[in-house]
Amino acid sequence: MAFFNIDSIKDRTFDAIVVGSGISGGWSAKELTGRGLRTLVLERGRDVQHIKDYPTTFKNPWEFPHLGQIPKELRDANPIASRCYAFNEDAAHFFIKDNEHPYVQEKPFDWIRGYQVGGKSLMWARGTQRWSQYDFDGPARDGFAVEWPINYADIAPWYSYVEKFAGISGNKDGLPQLPDGEFLPPHEQSCVEKHFTQQMAKHYNNTRPVIIGRCAHLTQPQPIHTQQGRGQCQNRTLCQRGCPYGGYFSSNSSTLPWAQKTGKMTLRPDSVVHSIIFDEKKNKATGVRVIDAHTKEMTEYYAKIIFVNASTLNTNLILLNSTSNRFPNGLGNDNGLLGKYIAFHNFRTTISAEYEGFLDTITEGNRPNSSYIPRFRNVFKQETDFLRGYAAGFGSSRMLDTDRSGFGESLKANLTQKKYGNWHVSSHMMGETIPKETNYVTLDSDLKDAWGIPQLKVSVAYDDNDEKMIADFHQQMTEMLTVAGFTNIKTNDRPDKAPGLDIHEMGGVRMGKDPKTSLLNKWNQLHACQNVFVTDGACMTSNSTQNPSLTFMAITARAANHAVDKLKKKNL
Amino acid sequence: MKRRSAIKNLSLAVAGMVSLPAWVSAWTPESIGQVNSLPIPDENLLAEITETIIPETQTPGAKSLKVHQFVLRMIQDCFGEEAQTLLEQGLLKTDQLANIAYNKPFVSCDTAQRMELLTHLQTSDDPAGKQFVDMVKNLTMRGYLNSEYVLVNINHYNIAPGFYHGCVPI
Repeated sequence: MAFFNIDSIKDRTFDAIVVGSGISGGWSAKELTGRGLRTLVLERGRDVQHIKDYPTTFKNPWEFPHLGQIPKELRDANPIASRCYAFNEDAAHFFIKDNEHPYVQEKPFDWIRGYQVGGKSLMWARGTQRWSQYDFDGPARDGFAVEWPINYADIAPWYSYVEKFAGISGNKDGLPQLPDGEFLPPHEQSCVEKHFTQQMAKHYNNTRPVIIGRCAHLTQPQPIHTQQGRGQCQNRTLCQRGCPYGGYFSSNSSTLPWAQKTGKMTLRPDSVVHSIIFDEKKNKATGVRVIDAHTKEMTEYYAKIIFVNASTLNTNLILLNSTSNRFPNGLGNDNGLLGKYIAFHNFRTTISAEYEGFLDTITEGNRPNSSYIPRFRNVFKQETDFLRGYAAGFGSSRMLDTDRSGFGESLKANLTQKKYGNWHVSSHMMGETIPKETNYVTLDSDLKDAWGIPQLKVSVAYDDNDEKMIADFHQQMTEMLTVAGFTNIKTNDRPDKAPGLDIHEMGGVRMGKDPKTSLLNKWNQLHACQNVFVTDGACMTSNSTQNPSLTFMAITARAANHAVDKLKKKNL
Repeated sequence: MKRRSAIKNLSLAVAGMVSLPAWVSAWTPESIGQVNSLPIPDENLLAEITETIIPETQTPGAKSLKVHQFVLRMIQDCFGEEAQTLLEQGLLKTDQLANIAYNKPFVSCDTAQRMELLTHLQTSDDPAGKQFVDMVKNLTMRGYLNSEYVLVNINHYNIAPGFYHGCVPI
């Protein structure tokens, strides 16, 4: 595909380069092209075009030869990807193969990756809760990590901005620890979830709210969504296959086609970014080195500004691999903190229970969302012996009570008889882990990948704080379910579940006020190389209990518009 | 034994499929391939066992819905070698037991005799017999309940229902 001339530097020069096309890269592309910048978007994986490249999206259950289960050979060959809940027969093609993209696990870490245009925005779980001032205040108050250089007030208008475009459903709940946003109509809670909500309000004096989750689904498309070519969510709950309606937000259905329409975007799939080029005379970055995924040929591309949105750990990898005389330890890494203070969300444990009421009711249809218990521990002041807290998902369903005994006609009749048992509820913990210097990534000194790029070495683990938090979740949730009248309460901790499966890894290139203790300033510019911006999960100073993707979007839109403003004033 | 080599050949075929680059972008159920690995008599025996578990009534049973094909495919593609051996030996055992009890192969037994045989295998002292019956029964139920016939005609499956109601009377 010779749509550019590799002999011509001019043809390889753009106003901006965006590395990565996932949730944050898509937003960089949209904002930068929208402000008139000729933007090159680089994606290491293959192209995935909206609808056209969702091969399983219209398949019925019986059309999958194994009813969704992954064949053993494929599972055995991909032990890391196989541990992800969405790595099934219908969506496995959106996950990378373990052996094609090796990394070193100094400690067990399940790094889940989707290398393709759209990245993991195709397979994400779509929870979009805002962070609150308490989250941005956390590090300063508790003394872990460093202070955030921004407040909730800095980001709030950008939350509104991205929410309106992406389409976020939710209820205005008026909670200080979970600010309201620009919401489309919320999904409904089931009667058992409503019951739990009411019981919690009664027993805990409104200090433990239970709400319907906020999520990136078009429950009622607005003109801005139909202009994107997106339609109403059909409640299929087959999202991980790619949605042909654009019912949920993905780069593929939303930001990338929007950027494409400006005529300013050049999207280049199969482009593995090796490093960022730093020019010592100009004292800034001038471009990136790209290795063609297939030919392995290296090409340089140039731009005035560079947005690194490669996903948290790959952004760390690229910066660590961007060495020069000025930056022998990685771009912008004067303080040696690049790659350190990685954190994640603790999804290790769940709790389940039954409810013996509402036996004459049931849910109908599907809901691509669940109820949500915002953080209620240590929110307004420190009250436990562990730092920070946890949020939790909370869902309900009516179990079928099927008699599966015997053989023959009676069994056949019993199998299709709709006899329902008790309501079943379950909740998964989403705990905030503390970013620590000992949780880090670095480059392996020997091992390289197929493109000659050093392999990433990951050293991230749980600590005592996480263990205490798990114990507290078990204790508090057991108490809460008990007072609400639930029975058969069972906790299910999985100590063997490694970090990473949460797919909420953050940090390594954290923002901060002081160049001595952080890598990025309050506008996501590298302190030491100001025309390079990092706005994906790598920039996060701490990681809250809420789902992070919405915050990645808001921070990206804010930084991209700042970058264009500076560029126009010739300040970059 | 023929059965063993047939299963081996199938595994190789599947492994070949998995490494095809087409899997990434042009995945279809057809590309995984059809399953017909057992010698015909054994496949027929398995079909009769699944039919005994879920028989034809006014509605189709396991055999006409080809549930035995699903059972085979799952055991061969997803369950590993141990389960394949269990299947192989279980089929053999079923016929042996039929010959001892009724002096004829399983497929020639009537419905009552077949149910008797499966119940005996499931409750006998031989753990492999029980495991075999449990495995085939569970897969038969799963295959049946997720067949196009049951999902469409009994459960009225619709890929895009377009709604969610949190609390409706049963």
